[in-house]
Amino acid sequence: MSEQSRALSGGCLCGGVRFLLAERPDGVVTCHCGQCRRFHGHIGAYITVPRDTVAFDADATLSWYRSSGIAERGFCGRCGSSLFWKGDGKSEIEIAAGSLDQPTGLTTLRHGYVAGKADYYEIADGLEQFPGSSEPE
Amino acid sequence: MTDATAGGEQVWTGGCLCGGVRYAIDTHPEPISFCHCSQCRRQHSHVGAYTGLPRAALRLLNDATLTWYASSDRARRGFCARCGAGLFWEALDQSGAEDGPRITVTAGSLDDASGLRVERHIFVDHKGAYYDIGDDGVERRASTGETVE
Repeated sequence: MSEQSRALSGGCLCGGVRFLLAERPDGVVTCHCGQCRRFHGHIGAYITVPRDTVAFDADATLSWYRSSGIAERGFCGRCGSSLFWKGDGKSEIEIAAGSLDQPTGLTTLRHGYVAGKADYYEIADGLEQFPGSSEPE
Repeated sequence: MTDATAGGEQVWTGGCLCGGVRYAIDTHPEPISFCHCSQCRRQHSHVGAYTGLPRAALRLLNDATLTWYASSDRARRGFCARCGAGLFWEALDQSGAEDGPRITVTAGSLDDASGLRVERHIFVDHKGAYYDIGDDGVERRASTGETVE
């Protein structure tokens, strides 16, 4: 089975949160906003899939924090893995790329919210950068 | 925003998203390392970014929600149990530390990381296949500690 046809799975460091994805995303998009950088310790890297295509094998330690007026962030309360961004009223969920079991066959597509990036690093991979959201309206 | 003292020196403070964990660093943090290991990428969604300092230089101003997880037999990771922000990485056995116990702090948790630079990428032999490091001119080290091209 090639990487591109393999169903994706993932979870946190300790196994308290495990999930299966019924659909493959287009690819990985990074987020450089200050809130993601504080949540993740550096930039966030996310895939986006419809919420109803995510099936949880384990979610006993999954915790949610309302991080803004428009979204909640999901993480494992036992191991501290920062896993999800769930926008209010949206049909998709964003899942941390690093939480996916490798190999995924995915690539990074572009950088979003670079207007919020910090000074200590450079974006040097040549991918397109968006000052705000890189998603089509 | 830099919280400068009257003497103009930068004060290094930081914490999580919700305020449950707040800290101050009483020294100039060391240059940042980007860690590409699978544990950092699974915890942080992408590479880890850490700055090191003596443990004695870290003051916890608020630790009400600080939680630790031993991610291996070598180290534990500190995070906020209320908002999930990743904050600290600390070696469990520091008996061999010549200059005293050390701790590393995530760059993203600092209120203002201006003035810090990136020194190296580490564990590049464990990096994920879904991204390129890019030509940033920063030294790359494998998990063995050897510099790689």
